[in-house]
Amino acid sequence: MADRIMLIEDDKTICGELMTLLSANKYEVGVVSDFRKIYEETAAFAPQLVLLDVNLPYEDGFKVCAKLRCRFDFPIIFVTSRNTDMDELNSIMLGGDAFVTKPYNTAILLAKIASLLKRAYGRQESAVIEHNGVALRLENGCVECGGVKAELTKNEQKILYYLMKNAGKICARADITEYLWDNRIYIDDNTLSVNVTRLREKLAGIGANDYIKTKHRQGYLV
Amino acid sequence: MREYINIRRFLKDRVVIIALNLASMVFMALFLLSAGNSPDTVLLVIGMWIFAVVLYFAVSFWVRRRYLMEIIGLADRLQEKYLISEIMEKPTRMDDEVFYRLLKSADKSMLEKVSEIKQEKQDYKEYIEQWVHEAKTPVTAMRLICENNKETVPRTLLAELERADQYIEQALFFARSDCTHKDYIIRETCLEDIVHQAVAQNRQLLIQNNVRVEVEDSEATAYTDGKWIAFIISQLIQNAVKYKNDTPVIKLAIGTENGNTYLTISDNGIGISGDELPRVFDKGFTGTNGRNGENATGLGLYLCKRLCDKLSVGLSVSSDSTGTKFRLVFNRNEFVIN
Repeated sequence: MADRIMLIEDDKTICGELMTLLSANKYEVGVVSDFRKIYEETAAFAPQLVLLDVNLPYEDGFKVCAKLRCRFDFPIIFVTSRNTDMDELNSIMLGGDAFVTKPYNTAILLAKIASLLKRAYGRQESAVIEHNGVALRLENGCVECGGVKAELTKNEQKILYYLMKNAGKICARADITEYLWDNRIYIDDNTLSVNVTRLREKLAGIGANDYIKTKHRQGYLV
Repeated sequence: MREYINIRRFLKDRVVIIALNLASMVFMALFLLSAGNSPDTVLLVIGMWIFAVVLYFAVSFWVRRRYLMEIIGLADRLQEKYLISEIMEKPTRMDDEVFYRLLKSADKSMLEKVSEIKQEKQDYKEYIEQWVHEAKTPVTAMRLICENNKETVPRTLLAELERADQYIEQALFFARSDCTHKDYIIRETCLEDIVHQAVAQNRQLLIQNNVRVEVEDSEATAYTDGKWIAFIISQLIQNAVKYKNDTPVIKLAIGTENGNTYLTISDNGIGISGDELPRVFDKGFTGTNGRNGENATGLGLYLCKRLCDKLSVGLSVSSDSTGTKFRLVFNRNEFVIN
């Protein structure tokens, strides 16, 4: 079952775009429509996690957070453009679990959501992902095909992970690069090519020939 | 001020009285002589007179000098010299009191003016902060729209958005840079995390300029404000990209030396010439690099230096034709640790 996330955000555009983003990442999203009835609407939606803006009509986010905390124990992430340390401290003291400043990096926001859900409800990502007979073991970074194993470097592992997560879709080089940067691997275009070539050699070595296909001028595909 | 207090000035101010005394002496001597007094008696009388006058001037000079020296000493010990009228004793002499009253009313009107300007400045700062937060909302919305429509939105748009955000951030930090303690909180901060944050803030800029970024793993921490440091690093990264070479590499390293934690940001860019190096932190200084095409404002490094000074972080720069290296040194403050 998909995790439910409640958005308490008064900017319509941001709210809509966040809905698109979170839905695309397989979350069920609820929004507050009447800011005088935040608590009732939140209780009715029964979310697993709340994204809370600080600047809200009627009451500010800190007050909302404190009130929500009295009744619920789901994780609360503050999303705000006020990025003073005082605000951050406030949010944590009032029971917020994380503090993300606008304009947020979506990868960081998604990672925060995933890690909080994991901590709060023990959601586990499966340790192995499989596609087309090739299995990537995340705990030791090994790739397996028909019983033959090969070890991958951190970069190759992340590239393969991203491609397999998006199996069947063409992944643009720029998207892969951005994904790697989000994971603190700062490589340039040439290094990406070198890494993909090495990854292909390793895959060929375990019998998965031509596993990663190149789509000319578009990107890679598994 | 002390040089104005000397006996010559003192006597000069009293030249009329002295002349009057001398003239009286001459008349008195003539009168006494013509009245049949012996020259010895006249000399004695005049001698007594001179003695009395000299004594009077000597004592009154000494008293006056002591009084003025005391006030000057009082003012010297004051940090805000204009407060002197508040703490000096009310003078007893007529003209002193007039000047004392004048000083007081001048102070009062000045303080009113100063507090008016302070208030205006505070209002302006608050407005800037408010504006920054409001400006960030549409930037956030634009960014989300771009991310949700990655296939159709060109990456260059994301880069421009990132740039707009950096300029907005710069305004915020500029507004904060002259106000003190309220805007930062010193905490034990993991510097590597801060470095990654700064890199993430400039992701599009770095990717599109094909920059290789190397961050050394480090557990080192420093007692500082992470947001300010992230902003400073971010500014330095942007500079490194501005003045890059064909195959740009930016290295960020963290380490400890003599108990102090340091962070270096080095690039392999075009470098800064030696004679311009001491002035790079000056406000408005752009140098030959800045004039050669890039849109330098002369603000970035000045702001970095100001923020570093506020946080007591040492910021230094070294450069040659193979690149530039900035170094931030975080002092371990014993007071904080104990």
